[in-house]
Amino acid sequence: MSHPAAAHRKDGSGALARFWWNLRSTPQMFREAVFRSGKPTSDRSRSSFVFGNFFLHFHSVRVHRWTLRWSATWGLGVITAASFALTFITGVLLMFYYKPYPDVAYDSIKDIHYVVPTGRFIRNIHRWSANLMVVTVFLHMARAFYTAAYRSPREYNWILGMALLVLTLGLSFTGYLLPWDQLAYWAITIGANIALSPREVTDALSITVYFDPGGFQKLLLLGSDEVGEEALIRFYLLHVMILPALLLMLMGVHFWRVRKDGGIVRPSDADRRLGPPHRNTYPVFTEQPVKTYHLAAVVRGRSPAVQGGPENTVPAMPHLFYAEAAVFMLAIALCLALAILADAPLKELANPAVPENPAKAPWYFLGVQELVAFSAFTGGIVIPVIVLIGLALIPFLDREKQGTGEWFGGPGGARLVLISAAFGMSSSILIEAFAIRFGWLREWWPEVPQMLITIVNPGTVLTLAYAFFSIWAMRRYDSTRAGALALFTCFLCGFIVLTVIGYHFRGPNWEFYWSPAHWPGH
Amino acid sequence: MTRNKHLLLWTSLGSIALLGAAITDEHFRQEWRRMQLDYRQQLPEESAVQFPIQLRQIVVPPLQATDRCVTCHLGMIAGGEEIVGDPVFGAHPDVVHDPAEYGCTVCHGGQGRATRKADAHGRVPHWPEPMLLPEMSYAGCGACHTHLTVPNLSQLNRGQALFERYDCLRCHSLEGRGATLRPGQEEGVDAPDLSRAGIRGFEPAWYEGHLEQHRNAVTGPWKTSFGEIPAAERTAIEVFLSSRVGAPGLVESKSLFHSLGCRGCHLVGGVGGDDGPDLTQAGHKDPGQLNFSHVPGERSVPNWYAEHFRAPGKLVPGSQMPALELSDSEIALLNFYLLSLRRAPVPQAFWPRDRVRAEHLGEREFSRDGETLFTTFCSACHGDQGQGRRYAGMEPFPAIANPDFLTLASDEFLTETVRRGRPGRRMPAWGEKDGGLRPDEIDEVVKYLRGLSGVAPPAPEEESRWAAGNATLGGRLYASACASCHGEDGRGQEGPALNNPVFLEIATDRYLVETVRKGRSGTTMPAFGSPALTHRMLSQEEIEAIVTYIRNWETQP
Repeated sequence: MSHPAAAHRKDGSGALARFWWNLRSTPQMFREAVFRSGKPTSDRSRSSFVFGNFFLHFHSVRVHRWTLRWSATWGLGVITAASFALTFITGVLLMFYYKPYPDVAYDSIKDIHYVVPTGRFIRNIHRWSANLMVVTVFLHMARAFYTAAYRSPREYNWILGMALLVLTLGLSFTGYLLPWDQLAYWAITIGANIALSPREVTDALSITVYFDPGGFQKLLLLGSDEVGEEALIRFYLLHVMILPALLLMLMGVHFWRVRKDGGIVRPSDADRRLGPPHRNTYPVFTEQPVKTYHLAAVVRGRSPAVQGGPENTVPAMPHLFYAEAAVFMLAIALCLALAILADAPLKELANPAVPENPAKAPWYFLGVQELVAFSAFTGGIVIPVIVLIGLALIPFLDREKQGTGEWFGGPGGARLVLISAAFGMSSSILIEAFAIRFGWLREWWPEVPQMLITIVNPGTVLTLAYAFFSIWAMRRYDSTRAGALALFTCFLCGFIVLTVIGYHFRGPNWEFYWSPAHWPGH
Repeated sequence: MTRNKHLLLWTSLGSIALLGAAITDEHFRQEWRRMQLDYRQQLPEESAVQFPIQLRQIVVPPLQATDRCVTCHLGMIAGGEEIVGDPVFGAHPDVVHDPAEYGCTVCHGGQGRATRKADAHGRVPHWPEPMLLPEMSYAGCGACHTHLTVPNLSQLNRGQALFERYDCLRCHSLEGRGATLRPGQEEGVDAPDLSRAGIRGFEPAWYEGHLEQHRNAVTGPWKTSFGEIPAAERTAIEVFLSSRVGAPGLVESKSLFHSLGCRGCHLVGGVGGDDGPDLTQAGHKDPGQLNFSHVPGERSVPNWYAEHFRAPGKLVPGSQMPALELSDSEIALLNFYLLSLRRAPVPQAFWPRDRVRAEHLGEREFSRDGETLFTTFCSACHGDQGQGRRYAGMEPFPAIANPDFLTLASDEFLTETVRRGRPGRRMPAWGEKDGGLRPDEIDEVVKYLRGLSGVAPPAPEEESRWAAGNATLGGRLYASACASCHGEDGRGQEGPALNNPVFLEIATDRYLVETVRKGRSGTTMPAFGSPALTHRMLSQEEIEAIVTYIRNWETQP
């Protein structure tokens, strides 16, 4: 930029003119200082813009067209992120009014509900976006699994995703206690009893006096023997600081790895399948990209520009950004609509003397609670841990190549998934129906040691059935992927069946009812 | 990209529309805003200008009250202007307690923090304390006035009847009735309102004053509406007046409760039997915790209680409570009293006199005469005249006013039985550490019981244990003559248990021997000393042998 008044004048008025000029051009200079590459008007400048922007740079500058098909991801990751953003913002707003102390906590929620301007709306959004996040995080995981996205080089990101799943559930669970109502109190009491459940085993072995992981876990969780002020402050701190901080950090790594692992998974023959780009597409980028190649030289792996040439890629800006923004707004619109339609629940003030009957955990834990009804240790700890370990091992046990990037890709394919779903559903329904109709060991032999039920219960029987089914599928198709497809589908279906039973069909004393309308007293 | 652009456009527009809807809801569609606009329209113009549309609340930290009721009930806030005759915007009826100092929910229940009518009135799911129905508002007094003194029911009823009969309402007003005339006629002043005579007190020499006026008057109300009242009736009227504390219905209901013997099984504030549930907080019952499957009508606590009074076992399986066959009006009154049992955790600075006197000075909330004590604690089982009672599905309760019994039972026997109860049977111990009756109160009860039958106590005995029969013979006789009713080892069957340690300790040998000999009329216990077709007659020696045998259980039960 040239300075018309740059020449020194003897009378010294040059500095004043420069000052005036500088002042006038400050807005423009400020813009340039912030957006270094100027207005993003061309593909090239847009790419530089994306690359140079802190908030955008975890996108690839260019994305493959495959990625932009709705069916590639259904936008589930973005919806998850969007709902997290919403919970984050509304959560911070709620923190202005929420007071983490028993009784006072309940009153503060009542005040948020009734008198804080838009408080009820904000709390509803918080609740619905948190629920949406849990739903989409599950669906996102299912998408990643069914498109075999966990395979090399994305094994680590799959594990990061699992950590994020656990953190999401942890955030939901810790948030559950904060209103300090009956729902919260008794759900957390169940949680605390699950933490205590290793005593089922240590008691049976009579070693609790020497080795008591259950008691320790519970103490760690509650900070006391009962759900009280110590527990509340713990859950609050976890909910508003520790877990969100971890989640944010891991989310950053997760997103960064998406880019570093070569973007969203796609079939190796994606280019062929897509055919030539649509004529309305932004012109394909033919100039030699400056920075991407420089970077590609440094970055090991399969950045799009290195592997297949740029022919089937489009600039992330605006193609990907429109898609992301659209899905982001979709999530927001969904949460807003739900927040207007339905209030977040708030029951009576927590009362340790009046147990909720039935006391139900949040819906996403009801599948686990259904198993906990038989054995807290098996249902609440052993099976979830087995499932998590199993999920974490998938990328290392299935190293096949076939079907990567395709829905239900791999030997067996959609047909195997259907068969597995049928098996997963029917076997879980059958075993539940059996236990509901005929009871379990305890009902037949009241004196039976709890240890036996800990080992033999519908949860373990179901897990074994799924394991054998998966082995059958593995042998039948001679493929580890087939085994994984079978096992994952079975567990997913079992989870859904158990959750539905726990949510809808269980009443007081965890007994079976066809509908809540049949509960006694109603 | 077009599809994504469209999606972005429509989701964004949708979000904006939803936010708009939320804003509209927040600012224009809130119930209380519309109420306040309505109120403002009814205000005179100069006040309407200064009336801001905003939330209003009464906060009383020591009572834990944050009551936003006045957001709609605008005539009840301090300095609020009432709309006369409006059910919502009217002023609070005249009460001693200013809502601005006490809040609303302390008395009325409901949800003070709520700002929507349904939530605030509390008849919604998940709110344990719905607002008291208007006709039961005075039950709310029980939150603080936990020990409101009540007279004996019959005295109260008599006093009320006399108050009406002597036409006191001609000049005086009471609970919104009466005062049609002025004693000094048109230009005179109103006669005092007696609705709170029990708190404000009244002139002890009121009768003499009235009588003098009556004698001096030539015409008018003093002449025509007043006449002489006999002393006994004056006392009854005074009892009635002392019970007028500005809570119509509450005293009557509490008095009724104390006439039905309910406290024989139920504790209230630590005094009473413990067979049934403690009723100290009965007014705080959470409708959400009750089973309404057998209760017709609305799912409300009064409805539940009413149905429970009619058929306790239907609502609470295994209930020990007998169906008392109460009339609907009695049920309504009992309901009223139960709802008033809502002791709130208020700081002592807020305690009313009745509670301070009761908890610090040990005063009773009921009268301490024998009759009241008997009807309060004994009558549900033993009958109001001590005639005993039978309830379907329960062992019969003994008729303790039975002359056969009272001629043998010394006052000491009665006192000890009341004080220590009968372990193992339904008769609880009433001593100070158990049921909470004081020694002088037990004496009153015994005196009253004695008076019911008119039978003098037996002459005192020099020796209480003198029977020295043959225990082996006694055992044989017991097995053949007594065990069929009193059970093997005296554990009781149809007849009462005899191996009861307290009974054996306080029953003298004469009591036992004479009971066996003369039997107990009105019960299945026959007179074994007289010849009969149904059993073998026992000689004095044989009876003493049985008593000696029974005594063995004292040492080896």
